[in-house]
Amino acid sequence: MSKRPGYGLRGIEASLRLSLLSFVADPQWLIPSSIAPVIFALASFEMFRGSGPTLVLYAVLGASTMSMWGQTLYGSGWATGQDRFLGTLEPTLVAPTPYIYVVAGRVIWNVLTGLVGGVLVLGVVLWAYGQPLPLSNGLLFLGLFVALMGSLAAVGLLFTALFVYTRFSGFIQNVGEFSFYIISGAMFPVILLPFWVSPFSLAFPATWAVDALRYVGIPGYQGLSWGLTGDLLGTLGTSLAYLALALGVFRWVEHHLLEAGTASDY
Amino acid sequence: MLPSSSDVIEVTKLTRSFSSRKGFLFQEKVATDALRGVDLTVHSGELFGLLGPNGAGKTTLTKILSTLLLPTSGTARVLGRDVSREGAAIRPLIGLVLGGERGLYNRVSGRENLRYFADLYGLPSGSVTSRIREVLDLVGLTEAADRRVEEYSRGMKQKLHLARGLLHRPPLLFLDEPTIGLDPRSARELRKLVRTLSSEGVSIFLTTHYMFEAEELCHRIGILAHGQMVACDTPSGLQRLVGGEGTVELESREFDDVELSRLRSLPGVSRVLQEPLGTHLRVTLRVRPGQWDPDALRGALDPHPDLFVRERRTTLEDAYLDLVEQEVAA
Repeated sequence: MSKRPGYGLRGIEASLRLSLLSFVADPQWLIPSSIAPVIFALASFEMFRGSGPTLVLYAVLGASTMSMWGQTLYGSGWATGQDRFLGTLEPTLVAPTPYIYVVAGRVIWNVLTGLVGGVLVLGVVLWAYGQPLPLSNGLLFLGLFVALMGSLAAVGLLFTALFVYTRFSGFIQNVGEFSFYIISGAMFPVILLPFWVSPFSLAFPATWAVDALRYVGIPGYQGLSWGLTGDLLGTLGTSLAYLALALGVFRWVEHHLLEAGTASDY
Repeated sequence: MLPSSSDVIEVTKLTRSFSSRKGFLFQEKVATDALRGVDLTVHSGELFGLLGPNGAGKTTLTKILSTLLLPTSGTARVLGRDVSREGAAIRPLIGLVLGGERGLYNRVSGRENLRYFADLYGLPSGSVTSRIREVLDLVGLTEAADRRVEEYSRGMKQKLHLARGLLHRPPLLFLDEPTIGLDPRSARELRKLVRTLSSEGVSIFLTTHYMFEAEELCHRIGILAHGQMVACDTPSGLQRLVGGEGTVELESREFDDVELSRLRSLPGVSRVLQEPLGTHLRVTLRVRPGQWDPDALRGALDPHPDLFVRERRTTLEDAYLDLVEQEVAA
């Protein structure tokens, strides 16, 4: 890590700004990553529309999470792939700001653009449902939504380290996207999954965050047995673990790039 | 900040190997030695040129010195710091300009590209705008600053690369083939800029394919061939390496091996090099003044109706070709 504290925030800010400008120049990529969650949301909505507003909210939250995750995963993989394709990885690595800060800015941007998909899902469902969805504690719900975004960013950061390491980001994206949909509980309740999947589910910060969101948003919700407090601690713990893991992996990946001399490969 | 030593680059016995895999099912590891024991020193304020044929190891050496690649063995110190262990301390002090079309964010403007890298280099926030304006002005891109980079010509992209390398006022600048692919006017402008930077005290490490560029710009030139530094001297010193010899060029549709052998055995002829020249062949002889006989030279050849003979001064390019040729032969 840099000994000069100024590099971290400046790097994240620069990366966010460049992501925004690149997005404005090329905004169509938002469409494919938002289509899948809308389809999932509508399918869930049709399945649960007769079961009352709580199940509708359950489905909407899951679909929104899927949207943010899809955007995080694809956006981060795409941005790193673009760095290789454009030949900008080398000039970025030779700058004093550690690359992890650049990636962190991109991941945050991608989670934010994923929110657009989430809002889209909400809009579509509200339009189809025809009435406001119930929320017991709006402020806490909002705070937890930010926590969910943070947890997705932590996982995204770790995945991006793999994208920097290898040129085969498409493979990781495909495996990462759909397995997340299922094991995070975004699509189905975790309890419906086979027992052996539980450790994988609980290793994902988003599993805890989504469950916490449902506890706050859905009256009478019965999710993971340790309740809201357990979910909050789980979200925080696993997110920090992913963050620490990402920092370590990034150090290794940067060293490997310099050792192998593959930063200019694409 | 800078070391007290007058040397900005100190390289000792530097090697770098790359490994790749050969085969499909039963893969075999193949190692390629890109650098084989390079020794080199670049002084503060010097404009040092690195010449060498394709694959000689120029880019590998530049990447190691600019902390983008780790050496396999040996040491390399840049501005007094070890590239293997102190890369993070070296990066704010150097500028790297890689040649070519790549290395820029095409969808955003030139100014935004610079803004991004100004932040990554930690330029004081209050001076970012004015410094970007300065470097854009310096490279002549002020008018095109707000156009997307994808609309830039190759020459403009090259200027933007240079502007990025200068943003943080580095005392040492690495230029990797900065004029490659540029039209003559753009190349001349860029060379002028490099001269100006050098006169302002910036130490410059330049790699190039062009002899005249190295001869015109550089205080000293190193010649790299097959991963080894085969010579390092001033341009005139390198020319002296060929011993003040003259050069005679012979051109014809063909020369056979017997003729070439006879030419080699002539008194006063030290080297005979041949190269294709379109539909013809050019044979270049390095001759010792006063010791070679033009009549004996013509006598060594069979009758050639299209023979063209020219005597000229030995240039840096000749010295370069001789040195590279010797390395290949060795």
